[in-house]
Parts: sequence; C-alpha cells; structure tokens
Amino acid sequence: MTDRSVSYADAVAAVARAEGNLDAVSDELFRVARALEGSDELRMTLSDRQVPAARRQQIVEDLLGGQALETTTAVVSMIVAAGRSSDLIGIAREAVEINARDRGRSVAEVRSAVALTGDQAERLSAALSAATGHQVDIKVVVDPSIMGGVVATIGDEVIDGSVRHRLSQLRDTF
Amino acid sequence: MSRRLWAAAAVVVAAVALSASAASAAGETVGSCIFDETTTVKKLVDVDFKEVERIKNDIEAGEAKGASDREKEEAKKAKEEKDELVEKYETDLEGCVEAPNPIRPETTEIIWGGLAFLVLLALMTWKLFPRVKDLMEQRTQRIQDAIDDADRQRAEAAEVKANYEAELADAKAEAARIVDEAREQAGAVRADLQARAEADIADMRERAAADVEASKRQAIADLQSEVSDIALGAAEAVLGRSLEDPEVQRQLVDDYIASVGAGQD
Repeated sequence: MTDRSVSYADAVAAVARAEGNLDAVSDELFRVARALEGSDELRMTLSDRQVPAARRQQIVEDLLGGQALETTTAVVSMIVAAGRSSDLIGIAREAVEINARDRGRSVAEVRSAVALTGDQAERLSAALSAATGHQVDIKVVVDPSIMGGVVATIGDEVIDGSVRHRLSQLRDTF
Repeated sequence: MSRRLWAAAAVVVAAVALSASAASAAGETVGSCIFDETTTVKKLVDVDFKEVERIKNDIEAGEAKGASDREKEEAKKAKEEKDELVEKYETDLEGCVEAPNPIRPETTEIIWGGLAFLVLLALMTWKLFPRVKDLMEQRTQRIQDAIDDADRQRAEAAEVKANYEAELADAKAEAARIVDEAREQAGAVRADLQARAEADIADMRERAAADVEASKRQAIADLQSEVSDIALGAAEAVLGRSLEDPEVQRQLVDDYIASVGAGQD
C-alpha cells in the first residue's frame, strides 16, 4: 500500500469521524472496493483519464446514490475525480484498518465461495479472535474462485482453508 | 592700442625735435646756403661790381684824362678787393654744395612734417582709429560669435551624439531583451510541447497497458473459467461430492471455523 493511499485513508477516516459514521463508511468503502475488484469494466471506466471527471463522478453517483451514505458517496466521488480510482481498493482497506484500530480491533478479510450466514460470521470472528489473541472484525468477500471453504487474511497472516488451496497442495503432492 | 600709438607718436616727435635742434645748431641747409650766397653774389654784382666797373671806367677815363697815382692805386686796390670777394664767395658757394648732414632734414621740413604728422595723428585718433577700433571690435565680436556659435553647435552635436548613443544603447538593450524573451518563449513553447508529447505518450502507454491488462485479465478469466471447471471436476472427485451443493459449502465453512478454533489451518 502506498503512502498516498494511507494519506487518503486518513483523510477519509477523519471526515467519517467528523460525521460520526466511520464504521459505516469504512464498511461501505470496503463493499465498493469489492465491487471494483469484481468488475473490470467499472474499474477501467473509473480509471480512464479520457473520460471526463464529471462523467466519472456521475457514474459513482448513479451507483451509490440512495444505496450508500452521502459521506461514502462524496469521498468515493472525490477520489474518482482526483484520478485515484486505482488506489480506491487500497484506500478502502486502510480505512477499514483505521476503523478497527479505533475500536481496538483487527480486521480479517474473509473470502468464501458462498455468503456466510450470521451465525457463521460470528463463530468465524470468535475463532479468529481466539487464534490471533485479539478481537477481530471480519469482512466477507464472496469469491467463487476459491471453490469452497474460507481464506482469512489478517494483516500479513493468511489462514487458507479453501478447496483451491487443498487442490494446490494435492497438485504439489503429486 | 591707443596708448601704444600715442607712445610711438611721442617718440617720433621727440626724435624730430632733437633732429631739428641739431640741424639748427649745425647751420643752414644746401638750398638756403645757395640762396644766401646767390643773394650775396647778386648784391655784389649789383653793387660792388658796378662800383668796380665804375672805378675801372674812372681809371680808364683817368688814364685817358691823366688820373693821379693815388686814384690808380685806389682803383687797383678796389679791384683786388673785388677779386678777393669773388674768390671768397666762390669758396662759400662751393661750401654750400656740400650739405652739413645728408640725413637730417631741414628744420622747417621737420616742423611742417611734425605738424602734419600731429594733425594726421589727431585726425586718425579722432576719426580713423575709433572706426578701425570699432571695425576690429566688430570683427572680433563676429569671430567670437562664430567661435561661440561653433562651440554651441559642437555642444549641440555632442548632445545629439550622446542622445543618439543613448538611444542606440537603449535600442540594443531592447533588442537583446526581445531576443531573450523570444528565446525564453521558444524554450517555454518547446518545453510545453515536449511536456504535452510526454503526457500524450504516457497516456497512450497507460491506455495500452490498460488494454493489455484488460486483455490479460479477460484471458485469465477465460482460462480461470476453464481451469475452474477442470479444477471443480477434480475437486469434486477429491471431495467425492458436489461443490454446488449449498450444504457442502456450509459444511466446508463450518469445518474451516472448527479448524481455526482448534488452532489449525
């Protein structure tokens, strides 16, 4: 993650704190980042400098308007207008980390082939907290590419229980 | 000027006076001497010679009549005196031929010359010298005016030259400034064009890289799809059950949670 992304994340967090909704804003930013990861066309469009900034902001307004907080929409629009769309994923990740640190917790990015139920999410959070020794918030990403199971990333630590990983281990075995 | 003229006139008058005094002291001039001697000779001729002639005639008449010896003696004596006078006057007349001083003029000439000189000097002093002085002063003034005019024209020419040189220097400085500005503007335009070209190249590269990245992602996605199908089949074979079954997926998640809770990967 670049220093620029960290700086942007600090600024976004400061704005969200001022608005009193850092938790929600960081969560929505995380979702926007996931959407960008899942759509090459959207990511390229928002990153294309040939597209006027006003047009890119309008796309953001169309996507988030009424579905996200005004603060989230505003900061995403600002980042896109500044031509930093490619940094939006890193900014969102850092904003989530900042929010967790504010609450004395860590963030685990959890990838699953299917959506987790609430019970599963609670139990997974508790299990990760017990495994790491400190409170962990999970951010679930549905990623069919892992085929099955879960991949949890906490900072630099990765706990991979996916079917894809097992197949890889099996392939390495052979 | 006037003082020197008057001094020269005084010197001339003094010299003439001294010469006149010397001439008077030395005697008469040739002309006056001849005149005097001629007058004397004429008188002698008119008087003495007539007396001598009378005596001679008396002697001759006496001889004819029988003059006495005393009368003869007197006649002879008168003739001898007459001869002596004639000789004396001839000697004096010859002496008149030689002037006492060939350089020194006669006193009257000196006097008249001096008077004429003084009159002429007075006339010149009265009339001519002031006019000559005025003419000289006018000429001097014209020359001075010409010199002043020349100086003024020279000063004006120097001023014009200085102005011209200043204007020339200003023009050179202005030309240098224009050249510098043109050079700076050319440099700025060149830098701007270069920056634009570099920006265009960067955009083109970025778009090309984005296109390549998109193509790569698309290819990867396509490949992943195919690989996923193959891997899915393999996984299904390994796991012995279908990954499309939600229950299976739930079980896999639960197994993962359990393994994390147990401290396993």
